[in-house]
Amino acid sequence: MIQLKELSIGYQREILHAENMILEVGNVYALVGRNGIGKSTFIQTVAGLQKKMAGEITLNGQSISGMNTKEIAETISLVDTRFEGVEYLKVKDYLALGRAPYTDLFGRLDPADWQIIQDVACDLSIEHLLEKFSNEISDGERQLCAVGRAFVQETPVILLDEPTAFLDYINRKKLLELLLRLAREKSKCIVLSSHDLELCLDQSIPLLLAAQGKISLHVSLSKEEIIQAMS
Amino acid sequence: MMFCLLCFLPIAMYLHLMAGQIEISFDSFFDSFWNYDAKNTAHVLVREFRIPRLFMAIFAGAGLSLSGMLMQTLFKNPLAGPYVLGINSGASLLIALSLMTSVQFFQSNFGLIGTALIGAFAAGLLMMAVAQRLKSQISLLLVGLMFGSFTSAIVSILESFAGAESLKSYTMWSMGSLQQVEFGQLGFIFLIFSVGIAASFLLVKPLNMLVIGEKSAVLLGLPIKSIRMFILMLTALFAGLITAFCGPIAFVGIAIPNLTRILFQTSNHRYLIIGNCFIGAIFLLLTDAFIQVLEGHISIPLNAITSIIGAPFIVFLLMRKLR
Repeated sequence: MIQLKELSIGYQREILHAENMILEVGNVYALVGRNGIGKSTFIQTVAGLQKKMAGEITLNGQSISGMNTKEIAETISLVDTRFEGVEYLKVKDYLALGRAPYTDLFGRLDPADWQIIQDVACDLSIEHLLEKFSNEISDGERQLCAVGRAFVQETPVILLDEPTAFLDYINRKKLLELLLRLAREKSKCIVLSSHDLELCLDQSIPLLLAAQGKISLHVSLSKEEIIQAMS
Repeated sequence: MMFCLLCFLPIAMYLHLMAGQIEISFDSFFDSFWNYDAKNTAHVLVREFRIPRLFMAIFAGAGLSLSGMLMQTLFKNPLAGPYVLGINSGASLLIALSLMTSVQFFQSNFGLIGTALIGAFAAGLLMMAVAQRLKSQISLLLVGLMFGSFTSAIVSILESFAGAESLKSYTMWSMGSLQQVEFGQLGFIFLIFSVGIAASFLLVKPLNMLVIGEKSAVLLGLPIKSIRMFILMLTALFAGLITAFCGPIAFVGIAIPNLTRILFQTSNHRYLIIGNCFIGAIFLLLTDAFIQVLEGHISIPLNAITSIIGAPFIVFLLMRKLR
């Protein structure tokens, strides 16, 4: 569960102010807004990568300010807009990095860790990529792998910054359905920023609307109302 | 691959030992250890010259390759290395100061090592600070090169004021050589290297996390500030120690980590650390063996050979990446 209290985000001046809100487990929330409005900054701030200007972010009842790096890694995973791949890094080793918060000093994985990786690869239909190098697969496949790494991390909160940007329509829909299923079945709180307004509305996903310097939570807005608010 | 390297290292060591102008038998070689006779020329030759040079080739090759690998992973830049990023320049600058000025605490052998370590670490910190402010990898390399030019300019000014003797000792040192180490110093160097290599293995997990970038590594729980400092200290330890004893050796630290990645086809540092140690050691053993073969006719600085081999390799890498 993510709880935001009078959250103000930005660099030197405030660019977005979030209303007091609670994002529950078992749900997927879509953060929508125009380019440059501050969606990525919001996600980075909730992930603890960017300092907030004011207010409070609470994850599962614990303030993020009081959490150390390991505790944050066990609570939040983040999927960036783009993973460019690394030379000679196999997809299975990339996914395995998701287990880093739980492994020993040398990063050794036990059979249970490999089983989690295998299950996630199966869920995302990327088993055939496991032995391939991450820089030798397509942009869309890499994006699925990045999502896979976040799933492997097994955190209660998953943040995704435009995860569908490099995916075709079928994969976008499939990913969204998978996120909904994962949120429901494994009690996750998932927030994704997206420009796929229609797809989010089709799936009845609650929206975090970033517009006019504010982020507000909406559960029943029509496409026209959203576009009007954005413009 | 590992088996090949395990087989090839003793061969390279043998070639290095036997490459000198004076032929040494195997018996004399072993006797120089167990039945050392100070009056026997062959024993003296082996113990005072061949053995220190052999082990220095192994330590320097492995150490420079490891420090290059650490830099490349930390900066997520395959063209990074102690030489390109000015780590060697920092050590060289302070060593030039120690050899060409009358500052007393720089004078002893261990003072020289300390000096090189301080110079290497300070340069590493400077590069780290610059890297935080630059987004482009190429800009960081350019800053490294500028820093190198800046330190060279200061060294040139020092040279113009230096006396003949100190100028000679600095010039000899700057050519890079594996012959400046004495048998008695090997234990100390071995100890430092063992500690450094053991410490590198403690970094396997952080280094594997860093290959996907600092931001992602932090989100996987990496305490980036302390790890960054640990990596810098280790790099400074390897690069500073080798620079102090052997002078600046170019391109090993940038070329060997790339070659290792290509040969091992992995980004897992558990294998890359071992691979860099072996390939770096073998490369420098063979390079120095070649220099020894030619020594009867001409004297070639080690730095020249490593540059002749390393520079085209880096150009090849660049062309491969930009293609």
